[in-house]
Amino acid sequence: MDIVITDLDPRFKHEVAKEEGGERVKYCFQCGTCTSGCPVSEIDSKYNPRCIIRMVILGMREQVLRSDFIWLCSTCYTCYERCPQDVRITEVMNALKNMAVREGYIHPAFRAQAELIGSHGRLYEIDEFTEEKREELGLARLSGDIAEVAEIFKITGLAELLSEASQEPVRTASA
Amino acid sequence: MGVAHGEVKAEAPHMGGINEAGCGRGPRIGVYVCHCGLNIAATVDVARVRDAVAGLPGVVVARDNKYTCSEVGQKTIADDIKNLNLDRVVIASCSPRLHERTFRELMARSGLNPFLLEMANIREQCSWVHGHDREAATRKAVALTRAAIARAALLEPLERNVGSVTKSAMVIGGGVAGISAALYLANMGVKTYLVEREPSIGGHMAMLDKTFPTLDCSLCILSPKMVEVRENSNIELLSYTEVRKVEGQVGSFKVELLRKPRYIDEAKCVACGLCAEKCPSKAPDEFNRGYSERKAIYIPFPQAIPASYVIDPNYCRYFTRGGKCRVCEKICERGAVDFSQREEIVTLDVGAIVIATGFEPYDASRKTQYGYGRFPNVITSLDFERIICADGPTHGKLKRPSDWEIPRRIAFIQCVGSRDEHETDGAGKYCSRVCCMITAKQAFMVKEKYPDAEVYVYHTDMRTAGKGFEEFYQRGRSEGIVFVRGKPGEIVENPEDHSLRVVAEDADSGCILDLTFDMVVLAIGLRPPGGLVELAQKLNVSRSADGFLLEGHPKLRPAETSIEGIYLAGCAQFPKDIPDSVAQAGCAAAAAAGVLASDRIEMDPLNPVVDEELCIGCRLCEKLCPYGGIKVEKTDKGFKARVIELACKGCGVCGAACSARAIKMRHYSDEQIYAQTAALLEVG
Amino acid sequence: MAVKYAIFLGCTVPVRAMSYEVSARKVAGGLGIELVDIPEFSCCGYPVKSVHQDTTLLMAARNLSLAEERGLDITTLCSACTSVLTEAARRLSSDGELLGKVNEQLKKLGRKYSGRTRVKHFARVIYEDVGLDKVRESVKRDISSLRIASHYGCHYLKPSEIYDRFDDPEVPASLDALVEAAGAVPVDYVTKKECCGGAILGVDENIALSMTKQKLDDISKRGADAINLVCPFCNIMYGANQRKVQSKYGVKYDLPILYYPQVLGLAMGMEPEELALNMNPIKPKSLLAKLG
Ligand SMILES: Cc1cc2nc3c(=O)[nH]c(=O)nc-3n(C[C@H](O)[C@H](O)[C@H](O)COP(=O)(O)OP(=O)(O)OC[C@H]3O[C@@H](n4cnc5c(N)ncnc54)[C@H](O)[C@@H]3O)c2cc1C
Repeated sequence: MDIVITDLDPRFKHEVAKEEGGERVKYCFQCGTCTSGCPVSEIDSKYNPRCIIRMVILGMREQVLRSDFIWLCSTCYTCYERCPQDVRITEVMNALKNMAVREGYIHPAFRAQAELIGSHGRLYEIDEFTEEKREELGLARLSGDIAEVAEIFKITGLAELLSEASQEPVRTASA
Repeated sequence: MGVAHGEVKAEAPHMGGINEAGCGRGPRIGVYVCHCGLNIAATVDVARVRDAVAGLPGVVVARDNKYTCSEVGQKTIADDIKNLNLDRVVIASCSPRLHERTFRELMARSGLNPFLLEMANIREQCSWVHGHDREAATRKAVALTRAAIARAALLEPLERNVGSVTKSAMVIGGGVAGISAALYLANMGVKTYLVEREPSIGGHMAMLDKTFPTLDCSLCILSPKMVEVRENSNIELLSYTEVRKVEGQVGSFKVELLRKPRYIDEAKCVACGLCAEKCPSKAPDEFNRGYSERKAIYIPFPQAIPASYVIDPNYCRYFTRGGKCRVCEKICERGAVDFSQREEIVTLDVGAIVIATGFEPYDASRKTQYGYGRFPNVITSLDFERIICADGPTHGKLKRPSDWEIPRRIAFIQCVGSRDEHETDGAGKYCSRVCCMITAKQAFMVKEKYPDAEVYVYHTDMRTAGKGFEEFYQRGRSEGIVFVRGKPGEIVENPEDHSLRVVAEDADSGCILDLTFDMVVLAIGLRPPGGLVELAQKLNVSRSADGFLLEGHPKLRPAETSIEGIYLAGCAQFPKDIPDSVAQAGCAAAAAAGVLASDRIEMDPLNPVVDEELCIGCRLCEKLCPYGGIKVEKTDKGFKARVIELACKGCGVCGAACSARAIKMRHYSDEQIYAQTAALLEVG
Repeated sequence: MAVKYAIFLGCTVPVRAMSYEVSARKVAGGLGIELVDIPEFSCCGYPVKSVHQDTTLLMAARNLSLAEERGLDITTLCSACTSVLTEAARRLSSDGELLGKVNEQLKKLGRKYSGRTRVKHFARVIYEDVGLDKVRESVKRDISSLRIASHYGCHYLKPSEIYDRFDDPEVPASLDALVEAAGAVPVDYVTKKECCGGAILGVDENIALSMTKQKLDDISKRGADAINLVCPFCNIMYGANQRKVQSKYGVKYDLPILYYPQVLGLAMGMEPEELALNMNPIKPKSLLAKLG
């Protein structure tokens, strides 16, 4: 893939560095410690944290934020622990995903989870079957939905974001 | 090229105006605000500073100069002193550390007492740190300059103290840097004490097998120098000795040393080795990094200087079993064994000190992902030197520790404990500078011994800047060493055969390399040596954020410290290789010898004066003084504080604390400081 | 010293890992750990962290404030909850500005938080607050015939800085120590530190299941009788999805999965039913047979 200078957005790295979790991204010196210990990369090289950070440094804004590979981080924090420059890669990935959502890209699995939590305050709607089973086991009944969470979604603006973010990430060969 | 040319404001000498009116019979002050090219002028509006102070009481003239320190700049001041009868000078420019001396000399040449100079630092403490805000920086520069003027008005002429010079030097640390410094000094005719805390001199270089980039045998080139130390009549070697206390200043330091007991009479021992042969107690051999054993009575290595055995009380039966054994004592025909030795205090008078305490290898077991200490075949670069050395535990055969078989596949991992933000104390964030070449050397040595061995070097960047270094790196590649740009996340050991799996991303090919090795060598970083913090405190020298000792100036005084008369050599200042260590030793020795060449030394008269009428002998000053520089003594007028000039460093703690206001700091009197602060606060 | 915590169940435990909850409560009783329920607790916030971190922080802060109101610290059963709540608690207790900002938002819910709540995983509570000695004392049944491989999971240990590095994520030892204290034999295995893959199950099932398979392969090769877990998320992979891995890759493990409170409960002499062992997705019959 050829990249010409006009494809690159030199502000992107600074933008990421301002995002919560992205603060240390510019310290990356590309040693590859992250990728070499990444359990996801080990199975599918499509996910390569070192490359993703490189793309951020280069300013490949669109390619990063639209991609589906940023959603592949399993948040195991192995790279976070080992990165010699303390780039906190797991949090950088979070920052990128958050930015992607604001650009309108959200992975359907994460959208589904967010919507469930937004409506019930939990990942699962509590049905009678569950309550009965709990009773059988001598466990207390669960209170139903936690309505304040829907309120939280409104306060932080996530509710609105979810209604706007409509695109799915684009399938990409690899970082 | 005239400095002021083309610069309208600087060219016009009267811009600030001469203000004869406001001066009456008070002080006559000249104020000079420096542009420092654009260093100050780019951020601070220099003309505005000049104008803001021009009319202040006492100020006869205020000017701005492009470069105040230049000949033109200095001449302007000299002329003003003469023509306008100035009696005080204020210069707003760089840090006094840079040019106070220049301007004091100018004052003296112009017939003024040099202590009537005051400087305002509007560069390091203003323009350089407030580059983003011109307005605020200018206001701060005005405030600092006004404060300087206020203090200048109250300055008093002082005479410099004159001290004598003890024509001898002490070098602390007997590695290659300390050895070199001692030899340079001794050959210049300076009586030199070389203080080494270990039983032998030699430092880390003595442990190395060969040295890059020429691959000459380390001890073959070091041991003649060590012998020279012993033979040189100007050098007195104090091994197994530590520094306890240092007082005084340049020209006349008083040093207290602690000699640890060897339990061997150095003069009698001929290192025949009979004692060790018969000694029943074994201990891990630290010189071989614990990969072999020595006896409780031992000599660190065959070429050790002094060539004398030493008894390790932690393992010797005489000490561990309450006076029993004494086999060595019985066998030694020369009667060199002496269990009655005790710690001994030795005092020295020296005129200069060189610190050459070297480094300490990074503790690789802190990187638990690499398993050093858990996996026998993971070793460090320093272990490697011993394992491949003819005098090492395997007699020069490169073998892996788990089964002492010859490894066929070897990996090196770079930057272990260097360039690492997780090393929270600051030490370890830097590049240790020598490890790339150490690994290139060691990888090459593997290939030299076993051309069929497969050698991989995992690195972040290969840094081979140095004479002959790049050529050496190229030679390594041509031997077939594979350099991989990619740092492995961890080492996984196969518990059955102790082989080591290393996964890394090869950034150059984009492949994940999943390789298994017989042995892995960790290129450990160089850290400040243990005890450096305490030593720096005793000597009152500063350290930099990386933990090493701070040089006088990063470019221009690389072998000096913040304290006059104390110099630096080798890795004590920062990691470096042998040639650089030796070069810096030469530089330190030259600087020290320069001081020792003169018969008298002038010192700033900054120590306090005690007014015995006011002193109530409460001893608060004595308790607070960190240097033992003031003592309360009985006089015929009762108990009174007395300044010990040699120990006093002029820090001012006593003056600030004295409740009877009996202690007056010269050149930093209360009145001067109050005036300065008041002026600062007024500007707001 | 009485050990008392608000128990934070999170979403998955009370619905899909009831045996974990049952056994944890039982064991807590036996060890003298008092657990207080707070019905108003919501989801911790972890699942929306990838989408919107501010929301995660506010959800966490709300949960923390609920415990603070009652003067309690929180213990958690799910490792993801542990990480999100611990991270929030640490940030809010050390960053006054952030705390102020969060309180502005909490005010709209009629709540406030002053940054006092501390968070600890239930296993860590047993490891640190109760201590290995008391665990050993509590043992009534000999389970030394059981060989148990611990899966630490990621968020129980990492990021280690938020957990005061109570265990080294590169050489984790706390769960093995707990298994040993209960009297079983801890099984070491090479892939011990690997991630279960659960967090990306919904993004790429193939990758997630391969990650699970890797460890199941390794653990069963080592001849373990069971896997010891401390996170319901991980259990979705090793328990609920074990069959799926078996059929997808044509392998067979039938490897029972136990939560640590179940392991300890057995050792403390509790009956399998009391610990809801029969509810585990892989029936631990072989294992119980071994106990006799
Ligand atoms: C594995 C390895 C391989 C290397 N290979 C090469 C190479 O091939 N070529 C090369 O040019 N360089 C090499 N180096 C670097 C080389 O070792 C250093 O440049 C050199 O040792 C620096 O000398 P030094 O005297 O400053 O410090 P050191 O060798 O550390 O000596 C310091 C001395 O001071 C003593 N000391 C410390 N503190 C005190 C104290 N408080 N009081 C009294 N004494 C004290 C110590 O006991 C020691 O004897 C290598 C380094 C390592 C780690």
